[in-house]
Amino acid sequence: MVLELKDLHCEVEGEGIEILKGVNLTVEKGDIHAIMGPNGSGKSTLAKVIAGHPEYEVTKGDILFNGESILELDPDERAHAGVFLAFQYPVEVPGVTNNTLLRESYNTIAASRGREELDPLEFEDYVRGKLDLVEMNPDFLNRSVNTGFSGGEKKKNEIFQMAVLEPALALLDETDSGLDIDALRVVSDGINKLHGDDDAVVLITHYQRLLNYIVPDKVHVMLGGKIVKSGGKELALELEEKGYDWLQNHAMVNGEAK
Amino acid sequence: MLHSLAKHAPESGNSTWNSIREDSLKKLNSIAFPHSRLEDWRFLDLRPITRTDFFPADEAGVLPATNAENYFIPESDRSRLVFVNGVYSKKLSSIGGLGKGVTVGNLSDYADNPSVEEYLNKLVNYEDDIFTEFNGVMLNDGAFIHLEEGAKAEAPIQILNLYTDSAKPYIATPRILVVAEENSDLTIVEDHVGLSANTYMTVPVSEVKVKQGAHIHHVRLQRDSENAFHVARPIAYVEKNSEYHSYTITLGGKISRNEPRVVQEAEEVNFTLDGLVLIDGEQVADTHSVLDHRFSHGNSHQLHKVVVNGKAHSIFNGKIFVRRDAQKIDSFQENRNLLLSDDGLVNTKPQLEIFADDVLCSHGATIGQLDPEEVFYLQSRGMTEEKAKEVLTYAFALETIENVKVESVHKLLIEEVYRYTKANNIETVNA
Repeated sequence: MVLELKDLHCEVEGEGIEILKGVNLTVEKGDIHAIMGPNGSGKSTLAKVIAGHPEYEVTKGDILFNGESILELDPDERAHAGVFLAFQYPVEVPGVTNNTLLRESYNTIAASRGREELDPLEFEDYVRGKLDLVEMNPDFLNRSVNTGFSGGEKKKNEIFQMAVLEPALALLDETDSGLDIDALRVVSDGINKLHGDDDAVVLITHYQRLLNYIVPDKVHVMLGGKIVKSGGKELALELEEKGYDWLQNHAMVNGEAK
Repeated sequence: MLHSLAKHAPESGNSTWNSIREDSLKKLNSIAFPHSRLEDWRFLDLRPITRTDFFPADEAGVLPATNAENYFIPESDRSRLVFVNGVYSKKLSSIGGLGKGVTVGNLSDYADNPSVEEYLNKLVNYEDDIFTEFNGVMLNDGAFIHLEEGAKAEAPIQILNLYTDSAKPYIATPRILVVAEENSDLTIVEDHVGLSANTYMTVPVSEVKVKQGAHIHHVRLQRDSENAFHVARPIAYVEKNSEYHSYTITLGGKISRNEPRVVQEAEEVNFTLDGLVLIDGEQVADTHSVLDHRFSHGNSHQLHKVVVNGKAHSIFNGKIFVRRDAQKIDSFQENRNLLLSDDGLVNTKPQLEIFADDVLCSHGATIGQLDPEEVFYLQSRGMTEEKAKEVLTYAFALETIENVKVESVHKLLIEEVYRYTKANNIETVNA
């Protein structure tokens, strides 16, 4: 198992507002899971909590990564272990080029996994091959991270980073939002090519649209900080048809989400 | 304090120099030492200066300069003027590599030079300012640079001011006079270095005349001792079609007060007055600048960036004047402050006085902390929290130094920014 969430509760640090109210989830190697849900259901929070965002405090439950708890690990240590979060809103870092950030990231992660670090020239060769995956112009390497990028370019850049860092678990937070149909195809193709038997992908999305391109093994629906329904890829289609209200009522009846 | 030290005025130069000293002394005696009840000195506590007993150089037990060569920049191998506590050092200086039409040397050797006669002490213009007058009284050595019409300095000129250790506090009064004739071109690296951790005060005055079509790139680097006081008066006059671009980097000093001024003397000019301040501990860095637009068609740019850590305190007062007849002015001013600690303090005041009606003046001032979302982003890419904060602080500061075109100085500044971010145990900043 790559990822196991056990009765995960969290709240915003210092504010006492509970956002995740007992999430249980298991993700196996080679799997693609989709987590769907309306705004405010806690799905983005879930991704950030797994990646170790300091704004959230886990109050109960556990996060196991490859069988071991990562609750006590800092975000960088989780990245070293193989967790990757593609941000919904990638941050601009003027003054630091994509190339510098990626090489720094690649090498710290490589060092912590006992792999060989790459010098700037070796890294350039390595990175060139990854650019094609998301049809990215090599000029982007020498530009400041996300600075002045369009929404679509920022999302592509996230997947490009994923390609370079080769994580064991990729959490993709609304990677489809803000993408036009061509960019969506490129990004989806990239994710499909990157995904293999040794890693797992968790897609967080509002819409079924993305799942036409990336076919999930499992679909989960989050409402009120909990996973209220899980199923196969057909669940996404059912949701598209009936809307979240259908499950909202369902959940209320069962008294699961409040 | 300054009044009693003024008795030790030097005697070099000619009769003009004597009258400059006498005139300055007269004014000095009519001006009281400033204090924070005066509007221009609000927020700045000068008591650490007034409570210090300063001694004339020959009574302060000053030591000779050591390891001066560590501060030589390679580009200025043969275009370097070195001053030790304000006194010209022929031994450490190296001039002669600048080609035709460029005169560089110790000011007091050029007292009879026509440009010196014409401009020395005539350009400096700070109203009722005790520091300028004190420098005038002590007029002696200094850097003199003259470029003939069309002359191009082949290498940057380094003006290196070294301040040595001493038994007792002393005051140095460095002086710079630059006259760039029509269509000449020059890069100056003015560097102030404290060689030890002793208490001293330096009061540099610089006068720069940029004539028609001339270009000057002026880098000013302040890395005084952590116990030093630095009060600077750099003023530049820009004529038609000229360019003056100045970049001031403030790293050292216990208290520093920098008052750069640029005065537009004709139409079609382009000038920059950027600043980067990196302070920590109990340092206080105060910048009071004036961009004086007196004629139409002037472009000016002022980006003043400040990083404050520990209990340090930054003050910025940026005056922009646009006179009545100065139409079509395009002026940009921005002061951005990054607060890394809970105890740091920032005062900022953009001050625009616009009397013309067809002008474009943008200004802004921000004070902020490192964005936790940015820190998390970099951490999620494998950087430690400490490294992420270093990178973000570096990125913040970079913008002001990327235009410094002397390669070794640019590199040095990047190192200084790294040293600053590394040396400081940056506190965790909460959202």
